[in-house]
Amino acid sequence: MLKIESLSVKVREKNILEKVNLKIENGEIHALLGPNASGKSTLAYAIMGFPEYKVVSGKILFEGKDITNLPIEERAKLGITLAFQNPPSIKGVTLSALLKTISKQKSDMKDFPIFFSEILEREINVGFSGGERKFSELLQIISMKPSFVILDEFDAGLDIINLEKLTSIIQDKLIRNDIPILLVTHRGNILQFLEPDVAHVMLDGKIVCTMDNWRKVWKTIRRYGYEKCKEGKLSSSKQ
Amino acid sequence: MKNVRKANFLQVNNEIRRLLAEEGVIILPSSQAYKKLKWTRDHFEQKPEEGYFIWVKKQISHPLTTCIAISSPKISQNPRNLIVIEKDVKAEVHSICNTMKKNLFGSHIGHTKVILKEQSTLQMRHFHKWEKGDTVSSSLEFHLQKGATLFHVYKCLAVPEKLKTELNSFLDSSSSANIETDVLAKRGNVNMYDSTFLNGEEASAIIKVRMVADQTSKITSHSKMIANNAGVGHVDCMGLLLSEKSSISTVPELINRNKNATLTHEASVGRISQDALNYLRSRGLTEDGAIGLIITGFLRETAFSYKGRVLPSKIYM
Repeated sequence: MLKIESLSVKVREKNILEKVNLKIENGEIHALLGPNASGKSTLAYAIMGFPEYKVVSGKILFEGKDITNLPIEERAKLGITLAFQNPPSIKGVTLSALLKTISKQKSDMKDFPIFFSEILEREINVGFSGGERKFSELLQIISMKPSFVILDEFDAGLDIINLEKLTSIIQDKLIRNDIPILLVTHRGNILQFLEPDVAHVMLDGKIVCTMDNWRKVWKTIRRYGYEKCKEGKLSSSKQ
Repeated sequence: MKNVRKANFLQVNNEIRRLLAEEGVIILPSSQAYKKLKWTRDHFEQKPEEGYFIWVKKQISHPLTTCIAISSPKISQNPRNLIVIEKDVKAEVHSICNTMKKNLFGSHIGHTKVILKEQSTLQMRHFHKWEKGDTVSSSLEFHLQKGATLFHVYKCLAVPEKLKTELNSFLDSSSSANIETDVLAKRGNVNMYDSTFLNGEEASAIIKVRMVADQTSKITSHSKMIANNAGVGHVDCMGLLLSEKSSISTVPELINRNKNATLTHEASVGRISQDALNYLRSRGLTEDGAIGLIITGFLRETAFSYKGRVLPSKIYM
């Protein structure tokens, strides 16, 4: 599905990612853990193809196709989607107008649980609460009928009740349909709700460990901090 | 112009092609109104030769439509229109002025005076569509008597080489006006002037101006709000620049002559943020598609296609 080969990325002339390897198969959920500014979001935006995230070397392959130099919208058309941590406000454009434009599965939207239905007729992200913002992101992504989903700090700004509601939508609309997910986070709650198949730890732009037991990784992080993951005691079989 | 066939007043070049009155509504050429109804002379600066007179005496359930079009080369139009809405009556008017072909090099100098009598309501949508070689000057005058309500939308999404608009509103006590102006220019010079006079106690007005300047266009908007009595007024001007060679100037002016009046304004001019464009591109829109969607939202329900994107339509062209 998604294969990243020795990817190095710089942003505004600063090297952020260094020789990152990652492979995500259909139906897998991968958690990418790491402290602030470790390069997690850079990897997410580089996969999505944002122009300021320049690939210095390496490749991004999606369904066997080299997408390293593909524009953002072409990647989106292939089904790569990203739920932003801090999506920009789009004044004048209502969420429903955007959904009408991007939606590939109108019929499925009917039974979509609307917890924040009043935001549909509001301008995108203008005055949205944390929960409304995340719901809007999820709604957009699901309407695009994705084949790969990146959730960038999806749990940031969400209370536990809304996190439970939104992760149940993720379970129902994405995981149940075997849509692979890259879950970028540095919090534990969302891991418990989504139970990733693989956990990676990123430090200083490098993936320093990978393990299929996310609980063990998270336990190590909580007890000893991210640096402990560097020590090679955790396996790296899934990279 | 598919709905022009149903227009209550249709003038093509300098000739009236259709004039359709309805029950409770008197519609005449302005020249005849001037001749037959002496009281109308107070409202025309001079004897009019072109234009329409609409007198809404009873409530109507559907919009009245007027259209003044240019279809031949080098036509000069000088319509003088008068609309009167009687006391307690609610009405809706759609007014279209346009050129029907390219390279006609027409001139349209229009003036419309609208009188809203006590407690009356008017929703007026005013659409302009011009071509490069045309010269257009349009002025509107609204007189709102006690308790009258006005909703006015002016849209011009295809501007001529030179466009000048003038809009003056005079509000008596407890009357209210909500006036929106949307202009999208790809070329030429657009100069817009609006003045709103809050003359009566508790009069209120909101002026919203939305400008989009592309290619080599220059748009200037002067919005003046004058409180002569204890009213409330707000001016809101926003501009979007789409090219390096375009420019937008917005000049809001508030003049308060009453200590119990409140006047406010907000203004912003900028370009579409790259973050917003990239965000929409990540949803599968091309850059042009993203710009089109943002402009559609910015100018609200418009009817024209922009950069290849067909925008939702509610208007009559």
